[in-house]
Amino acid sequence: MNVPIIDPLQGDFPEVIEEYLQHGNMKCIAFNRRGTLLAAGCADGSCVIWDFETRGVAKELRDKDCIAPITSVCWSKYGRHILASATDKSLTLWNVVNGEKMARVTLQQTTLHARLHPGSSTPSFCLACPLSSAPILVDLNTGSSTVLPVSVSDAGNGTTAPHPRNKFSDGSPPFTPTAATFNKYGDLIYVGNSRGEILIVDSKNIWVHAIIPISGGSVVKDIVFSRNGQYLLTNSNDRVLRVYENLLPQKFAAKELEAISSNDNEFQGIEKLKVVGSKCLLLFREFQDAVTKIQWKAPCFSGDGEWVIGASASKGEHKLYIWDRAGYLVKILEGPKEALIDLAWHPVRPLVVSVSVAGLVYIWAKDHTENWSAFAPDFKELEENEEYIEREDEFDLMPESEKAKDLDINQDEEIDIVTIEKDSAFSDSDASQEELCFLPAIPLPDVPEQQDKCLGSSSKLEDSNHSGSPFSIEAAQNGQAILPASSPLEVVGNSTAEEAVETSSLKRKRKPSAKGMELQAEKGRKPSTKIKLSGKSSKSKNKHGDGLDTNGSVLEDDVTDDYL
Amino acid sequence: MAAADPPSTAAAADGGVTPSIPQPYVLRETLTGHKRAVSSVKFSPDGSLLASASADKTLRIWSTSDLSLRAELSGHDEGVSDVSFSADGLYLCSASDDRTVRIWDLAAAAPVKTLTGHTNYAFCCSFNPQSNMIASGSFDESVRIWEVKSGKCLRVLPAHSEPVTAVDFNRDGSLIISSSYDGLCRIWDSATGHCMKTLIDDESPPVSFVKFSPNGKFVLTATLDSTLKLWNYSAGKFLKTYTGHVNSKFCIPAAFSVTNGKYVVSGSEDNCVYLWELQTRKIIQKLKGHTDTVIAVSCHPSENMIASGALGNDKTVKIWVQKDEDQREA
Repeated sequence: MNVPIIDPLQGDFPEVIEEYLQHGNMKCIAFNRRGTLLAAGCADGSCVIWDFETRGVAKELRDKDCIAPITSVCWSKYGRHILASATDKSLTLWNVVNGEKMARVTLQQTTLHARLHPGSSTPSFCLACPLSSAPILVDLNTGSSTVLPVSVSDAGNGTTAPHPRNKFSDGSPPFTPTAATFNKYGDLIYVGNSRGEILIVDSKNIWVHAIIPISGGSVVKDIVFSRNGQYLLTNSNDRVLRVYENLLPQKFAAKELEAISSNDNEFQGIEKLKVVGSKCLLLFREFQDAVTKIQWKAPCFSGDGEWVIGASASKGEHKLYIWDRAGYLVKILEGPKEALIDLAWHPVRPLVVSVSVAGLVYIWAKDHTENWSAFAPDFKELEENEEYIEREDEFDLMPESEKAKDLDINQDEEIDIVTIEKDSAFSDSDASQEELCFLPAIPLPDVPEQQDKCLGSSSKLEDSNHSGSPFSIEAAQNGQAILPASSPLEVVGNSTAEEAVETSSLKRKRKPSAKGMELQAEKGRKPSTKIKLSGKSSKSKNKHGDGLDTNGSVLEDDVTDDYL
Repeated sequence: MAAADPPSTAAAADGGVTPSIPQPYVLRETLTGHKRAVSSVKFSPDGSLLASASADKTLRIWSTSDLSLRAELSGHDEGVSDVSFSADGLYLCSASDDRTVRIWDLAAAAPVKTLTGHTNYAFCCSFNPQSNMIASGSFDESVRIWEVKSGKCLRVLPAHSEPVTAVDFNRDGSLIISSSYDGLCRIWDSATGHCMKTLIDDESPPVSFVKFSPNGKFVLTATLDSTLKLWNYSAGKFLKTYTGHVNSKFCIPAAFSVTNGKYVVSGSEDNCVYLWELQTRKIIQKLKGHTDTVIAVSCHPSENMIASGALGNDKTVKIWVQKDEDQREA
């Protein structure tokens, strides 16, 4: 990944919608640790795993018991398990490799956000934030749950700690969601409560170690760590996003916290917790839209923690605001006129993925301007015209001078062609466990058909590919996404070489090709089979053959042309 | 055992100046069966199989342990130019003059998918290390990236202005390098399809082959002026040159042999397989035995075995091993 010649501005932010993914009605998304796979929870209870490199469906996790819409998905650290929470109050743990359900726990309430314990390779603990009460730690093997404290009364530390298991008699402020998250290694849980306080709770013994009050004291809706664990983001009801710097070390944070706590003997009770809290988190920045004062939704950090992105929670809007860590708003991205329901930033690349209420996943990427000097090394791109002053002897006829280049190269230097450099972006990857980065790609068999020997496509198609990125929805200027089935598709479609097989390739029509018809007869159509968008044609069936595949989109069976 | 030319002849022929390899390679077996020129040979990633592609439109799969024929794959309509194994060794992809790239299931010894889209001969193909994509280069001057699962063409890279002679992925699959008769090697970001770099030398002889080093930091290029060069691609400068063989007409691939010392291996139009020491660039052995241009070489991933294939006058695949092992076999 960290190859020296790849654009050093990888840590930048996206600008336009590059593509969208469609498969069923997706509700929530999560990247795996390396960003090679994207898991999406659907409204029908299944989880779809996309191979992010090819933008194709890699796997589907389905089970007859899981039919309720998924509210959140979370990957395990090594990418072998996925935890999905659904509206039927259940939590399901899936094994990604074989696609089987490993565990299923039913709680008393529907969980809005479920997070697997990040420290372990075979996770059995998870943190579930229900819709309207305190977050709970659930043991997936036994099904038992422990309620986390959401507030500390003056009676001192620990007295509000564990309620008897499985009872919600905590009397916590009713019917307001409380947000919680694990820290990077899972030994501490940061809980944001409805009084505008962040509580740091030990995940093993559920003791509240520290309290950090947020100014304004309004309900905390989201609480998120950056990928490296150095920054914490809170989203409060007072329409402000706050970024805190995490002063605790990444590893063994709980121990450090206990040490701080026990060293401090001046204060007691809540005062003490607040003092300890001030040593754990430091308010770094606040982000808000001073003009329109919008509520925020699904805020998160970029992969390197340099940027913060938040979505506008206003009705029907699909707007993304990007700030840099210094607090300046750098970009507002506008998406299609469909409300946004979830958002995720790619762990490594400057890509953002957003889910709209229509069940589509939009991929935002940098607008790439072709780097022409990459094509010819002696080509220098100029920003503006430069006066060229010629040398005195520019046009003189010189006798052939020896090119001394070869002599400069010391050909006897030792070269190492075997040692592999570690990838610094994933410096903490534990080499002991195999991380699952890819699901094996099994080619789906072709239907035997008579080969359409049409070679209608000529160099004309080649030319149209020279934009360098046939994926880009050309008409998506200024971040406006155009919905499929309109003109941009024609642009994309025509430039794909799928057309090569069709006789009508050079026209922009979507007539069913001979090959398309044959492929339509393909039996055993699995939902993951690539199906083209049949923009303008009269067919409503799934088919291959038409050139819109490059969108990476897969249609549901019942989508027709009226899809718009 | 087929009679092997004792490698000492090679050393003697050069006047005894050439250093010789401590354990010279000798011919172990000659695999016959192809009816026309062999175009490519590749070992599987685990070393248990050897695939050979030929102008007779078929692919042959041999077992490396006993060198017997395991399967013959037919289905292409024209001669096959290149073959590549998937990372798990379960699938093969082959590029053919019939403009298609085909994916074969080795367990069933049958074709699984046909990737159509190129508008001229498909010349070279390669799986990426994750084996969810295939890159193929063609005489239509483009490089195409295909998704293995659906067979969809994901990208068409406007790679060159002459036929593309080789494509290769680097170790983590993030880069693709392509070479062409137009004298350029271009490096592409496989995720986005954007050109990252172009390697060009002063004179630009047609580049007939390119490949990443095992650690992905260097690239080895072969040009039709009988030269092999090892480049540091980020700096855009070449570091080593290997000469002595003959290569001015055909696209002859080269390989790194790292199992027992570091060598560069290449075929040649004088019917020999050349071995150079990586660091000193000296020819340490010439394997003789073929009766036509050696058009393909491949090194076994873990054993000291080299496979070579030759053109129409010869039509065979020869397996060379280092002498010690040969004696142990006998």
